[in-house]
Amino acid sequence: MSLVSFSRRGVLAAGTTLALMLGAASLAQAQTPPGVLIVGQIAEPKSLDPAAVTAVNDFRILMNVYDGLVRYKDGTLEVEPALATDWTISEDGTEYTFTLRDGVSFHDGSAFDAEAVKFNFDRMLDESHPFHDTGPFPLAFFFSAVENVEVVDPLTVKFTLNAPYAPFLSNLAYPTGLIVSPAAVEAGGADFGRNPSGTGPFKFGEWRSNEAVVIEANPDYWDGAPELQAVVFRPITDANTRTAEMLAGGIDLMVEVPPVALSEFQGEQYSVFEQAGPHVWFLILNAKEGPFADKLVRQAANYAINKEALVNNVLEGTAEVAAGPTPPAFAWAYNPDLEPYPYDPEKAKELLAEAGAEGASLTFYVTEGGSGMLDPIAMGTAMQADLEAVGFDVTIETYEWNTFLGEVNPGLEGKADMAEMAWMTNDPDTLPFLALRTDAWPDKGGFNSGYYSNPKVDELLEAARVATDQEERAKLYKEMQVIVQEDAPWVFVANWKQNAVTSDRVENFSLQPSFFLLLDDVVKN
Amino acid sequence: MTGFLKLLARNRLALAGAIVMALVILLALVTPILPLADPDVTDTANRFRLPFSEGALLGTDHLGRDMLSRLLWGTRLSLAVGFAAAIVAATIGAAIGIISGYYGGRVDNVIMRGVDMLMAFPYILLALAIVAALGPGLLNALIAVAAVNVPFFARNIRGITVGLAHKEFVDAARLAGLTNARIILTEILPNVIPVIVIAMSTTIGWMILETAGLSFLGLGSQPPQADLGSMLGEARSALITNPHTSVVPGVMILIIVMSINLLGDGVRDALDPRLKSGALSRPMAATRVDRRAPVPEAIGAGLLEVQNLQTEFHVRGRNYRAVGGVSLHVKPGECLGIIGESGSGKSVTALSVMGLVASPPGVIAGGAVRYDGKDLIGAPYRRLREMRGRNVAYIFQDPLATLHPLYRVGDQLIEAIRAHRPIGKQEDRTKAIELLKAVRIPNPEKRVSDYPHEMSGGMRQRVGIAMALANDPDIIIADEPTTALDVTVQAQILSLLDDLRRSRGLAIVFITHDFGVVAQLCDRVAVMYAGRIVEEGPTRGMLETPLHPYTARLMACVPELGGGKRRLEAIPGLPPVVDRLPEGCAFADRCTKAREDCRVGEIHLEREGARAVRCIHPETPLREAAE
Amino acid sequence: MGSYIVKRLLSAIPVLLGITVIVFLIMAMIPGDPATAILGSYATPDNVEKLNRDLGLDKPLVQQYFIWLGNMLTGDFGTSFALNRPVIDEVLERFNGTLVLAGTAFVLCSIFGVIAGVVSAANQYGSGDKIITFAVLLGISIPSFFLGMMMILFFAVNLRWFPVSGMWPIYGARDLSALISHLTLPAIALAVVATGVIARLSRSAMLEVLRQDFIRTARAKGVHERGVIWRHALKAAMVSIIPVLGIQAGFVLSGAVYIEIVFQWPGVGRMLVDAILKRDILLVQGGVVFVAACYVLFNIAVDVAQSLLDPRIKT
Repeated sequence: MSLVSFSRRGVLAAGTTLALMLGAASLAQAQTPPGVLIVGQIAEPKSLDPAAVTAVNDFRILMNVYDGLVRYKDGTLEVEPALATDWTISEDGTEYTFTLRDGVSFHDGSAFDAEAVKFNFDRMLDESHPFHDTGPFPLAFFFSAVENVEVVDPLTVKFTLNAPYAPFLSNLAYPTGLIVSPAAVEAGGADFGRNPSGTGPFKFGEWRSNEAVVIEANPDYWDGAPELQAVVFRPITDANTRTAEMLAGGIDLMVEVPPVALSEFQGEQYSVFEQAGPHVWFLILNAKEGPFADKLVRQAANYAINKEALVNNVLEGTAEVAAGPTPPAFAWAYNPDLEPYPYDPEKAKELLAEAGAEGASLTFYVTEGGSGMLDPIAMGTAMQADLEAVGFDVTIETYEWNTFLGEVNPGLEGKADMAEMAWMTNDPDTLPFLALRTDAWPDKGGFNSGYYSNPKVDELLEAARVATDQEERAKLYKEMQVIVQEDAPWVFVANWKQNAVTSDRVENFSLQPSFFLLLDDVVKN
Repeated sequence: MTGFLKLLARNRLALAGAIVMALVILLALVTPILPLADPDVTDTANRFRLPFSEGALLGTDHLGRDMLSRLLWGTRLSLAVGFAAAIVAATIGAAIGIISGYYGGRVDNVIMRGVDMLMAFPYILLALAIVAALGPGLLNALIAVAAVNVPFFARNIRGITVGLAHKEFVDAARLAGLTNARIILTEILPNVIPVIVIAMSTTIGWMILETAGLSFLGLGSQPPQADLGSMLGEARSALITNPHTSVVPGVMILIIVMSINLLGDGVRDALDPRLKSGALSRPMAATRVDRRAPVPEAIGAGLLEVQNLQTEFHVRGRNYRAVGGVSLHVKPGECLGIIGESGSGKSVTALSVMGLVASPPGVIAGGAVRYDGKDLIGAPYRRLREMRGRNVAYIFQDPLATLHPLYRVGDQLIEAIRAHRPIGKQEDRTKAIELLKAVRIPNPEKRVSDYPHEMSGGMRQRVGIAMALANDPDIIIADEPTTALDVTVQAQILSLLDDLRRSRGLAIVFITHDFGVVAQLCDRVAVMYAGRIVEEGPTRGMLETPLHPYTARLMACVPELGGGKRRLEAIPGLPPVVDRLPEGCAFADRCTKAREDCRVGEIHLEREGARAVRCIHPETPLREAAE
Repeated sequence: MGSYIVKRLLSAIPVLLGITVIVFLIMAMIPGDPATAILGSYATPDNVEKLNRDLGLDKPLVQQYFIWLGNMLTGDFGTSFALNRPVIDEVLERFNGTLVLAGTAFVLCSIFGVIAGVVSAANQYGSGDKIITFAVLLGISIPSFFLGMMMILFFAVNLRWFPVSGMWPIYGARDLSALISHLTLPAIALAVVATGVIARLSRSAMLEVLRQDFIRTARAKGVHERGVIWRHALKAAMVSIIPVLGIQAGFVLSGAVYIEIVFQWPGVGRMLVDAILKRDILLVQGGVVFVAACYVLFNIAVDVAQSLLDPRIKT
């Protein structure tokens, strides 16, 4: 008689009885109730105060609880009215006057008006505002151009900018521009982030730490009450566990499905959604020193890497090959004539020979994961193999995300030749303006960690930022993309298609190019 | 060394572990010359190929790299890291532990507080913090894993060093004027090294697992380098869809860690000196019986009758015949003494009666032990148990070791009763006090709730006697009950036993090496040498005319009670080893009277009246003495 | 006994102070700061500096340490940057989860480990012993996170006997049966390794004790073999098993990190790993000090238990 076999049997038996005992409970639990959508999130939100958060994960909740003055039109990145019904822009592009929607009130019952709008922006931007201490507000610089917010009348508010700033409207549609209830901030103080109140289709229900955030339908929503009774956001950090929960029926909707897990959801009972977004996955190349100081070598790297294989095999088709610095999701600003660098190792070898850089050794910074970084280690490893195939000698150094940013953002000089990076933005201005201009070198407070510099690009970007006419801006951006692609300051790798899986009980769901999760039309049977 | 290897080989599980480990190491060593695919070449179109597919014996991973190749290269790396981490941790930990334990005092205090602090820090977080501070990489993971294990080594080694630092040989070295550093290196270290090796051998597996754990948290080797942990970590995202990519490294980790652990267990056992004596085995509930000869017929000589008893110890292929055919008997109310040197087999004879010889390695190989005419050898355990303590009770030597240290003496007394009959809650305490009173323990009401360590040696032995009396047995077998006691206490115990014998009609078998004690208590005496009875007879007669030269020499060893000072004569030489008894008389080599014929053939126990002797040239002729 | 406990508690104070220093230094040494973590891609030097000032991280280290220590003595552990809530609330809530998980696993591994060790020792070299030894080795050779995932795959996804993750059902009653169904898999996955270690050590402790003279005494008294093994031998063996249990409690607590991640259990281990990765300094510091304090207290409790068991220990 052996105790272990006995105890194993015992455990199994105990497990079985337990399962039978709890059978009813567990099965009932696996079957989530109708009208209540359970969403598998990737992390616990930091806060439900839109001015205090930076993560897409948190935005997914916030966009359903709050509204901004403007919002992105369904399925696009173009702004349309939301809490503001209309607006005018002054000739010089420095004054924006908004007409506010009448009769809207916050979930706590207080009224939405021009004073509330002013309160929101003053709280974020004015250090002497009595509720500025409910911060910090890390993304307040989105509105650093705002000099003054003025209440013209209860339903009219005027923003004065210190200079023309084309992305302003788009930034207002971003979660940082969502409007919170001043009364709730006054009541909650620093706790507002856990007791939020907005004007959105859902109102805050409860927040059980590390378990769930529950939001409930707002029947008085100005844009029509939502179909769902409630939405539960569950933070499930481990992608495998999230997949397992989806397979076991514990959640109805799962975002950021790991590429390799997609094949599990091919059956009838699941629907897989994909939506390309304003995301670029690229390699920063150190153009200041080392082999990549030579444009030919940078182009060689672009030819050497088999991007088709990366997006189709490593990322299982969850991304598309990127052609240039601007993602196609910014439809109006994207240059459709741009063709991605083809995979051509022979051409790469030729370029290397021409530049006399055969066998150049490279240090490659790779991160383990991070916001928008798609499977960065596997990607880095595969790219390393491609680069070595054309004669580079590549050494990878991996860093955990925060350390990685700490290494990369101050510039690669003296440390590395290339680094992975990914950006998700809301306006075609943001990424090139912050990461490709000469004035955006790290020592000047920007993100141009590879020290790319082309006066023509600088000029185009400055002009696009102050132009208020979208067509004018589009022309400038398209020209910029051609030059940048030719100069190859980066290896342009991929544009992520955000994905999600729902169970067959969920209807009317769609993903947005903004990467936000909008649930007011979703139905669950 | 060969002995060590033999010991290791004896443990079949350890041997299996050693073989598997050797294979793994061999594979790791020859990996560079094997015709394997390049472990780092990616082929993303052929990713997640299943094992046994063409060109990839173990399939391919998420980047289409050959799993077999990565597995072997990874094993190589993981083994190196595991060993290196274990060596680093063991070296640093041992150094800290030895310094702390050797110097003691404030140094010890400060160091151990530091170790406490590190141990109170959840070790994964410590490792994580170290890797976060140093940056990722296998080397840094190695440092982190080694660092978090240092406190465990330090603590272990310190404990052993503290024990050593007060040993005589260290004191001697100090007196000889050696420097501390020299003492540590030449005296302490050699004694600690086996422990370090054992601790290391059991830690390597753990190290490999921990490195895998860090890789799971994303802090391990740098791509594309393969180590088992990072293979598992990288495969994790495909666990549900392509389990083979995680199962392959997972199973390899399992195999390595298991074989290391099996081997480590074997090494530990083999290095343990006690294994050689078979002392690492636990004794069974009753001695094993393996009688090869027919059971002798009963002759009805007494209440307890031992006939041709043979008890052996089988240790590592050798057969020690501790008892080589002993016959004895004792009648009700009689006191029989069994006397002999250590190792003469007298205790083993006594323990064989109730099957209490430790087994393994003990085996009763022949003869019979009859209680009231019924044979006990080979009796079912249930019957033996029922008789133990109720019919035949034992009193053992060294009561500090024979009483349970963690139970109150009263409870131990009550348990002796409860083993044979139910007894009420109120009654049991009364009965325990009564028993303590019977063995003349003063203030028994209070003493009943003492722990053994709170009593003096004599008191404890009285408790031992009280325990033997608990069920009013017919026979008490007392195995050197007074050896550990001083002379006055010894005398008190003897007179107590004598009184009890007379008042309760007990039969006593009294085992001793001291003729003085025999003279005081016993009616008859049997002298044992090398597992056999060499002389037997009434106490008085034997004291007056010892027949066997051994008996005479044994008597000369003892100061006669009241006999004033007399020169104590030790018997020169040692008793023979019982697995290689010489032909003829076993005592011949030590006997001044030995002649040629003493070393030839079997010498029988000659009996004449009440006297018997196993000697062909006795001190006094047997017939004379018997008259 | 009372004075012994007081003495032990007093001696824990320098240990705890040392831990505050260690954790503070480590967090100071780790590259990357909370501002970078919060700002992510937008962490320009300017933005980082401003945010660090807002978070009060621009003061000299020594000053920061004493401010932190002083606040902690008044019960104020500060506010988590990443979670935007008081550290102490988060830690207490999370510790509750860990206590349930690690506590259950600890009870399981103590009971099953000791029983396995005793049975194994009592049948030394028998087939039972061999099977247990083998199973135990298997148990301590499997990475617990791997085991946990396999259990999820098999018992939760395929068989659907147990929920995949979490501590409570999202809907339905939060009663004991709900807790048990959520607890079963993670507690077993967490307990397996420690069960193996305890079983091995219990076995050798039992073998050591079974050779002692007092075991022979018990047998000579006629005590039934069951009583000899489970009462006499086990009680004496517990003297060396209890310290092992104390050490294993630490390992279970640490191992809980992996299990909490795999099973999405709201525990303090996962919280601390997240907090280290997010450079949530105050949460890491507060959490570690709290966990370490509990561990130190637990060890004192182990020592007290030890002295209650063994009357020979002077208190």
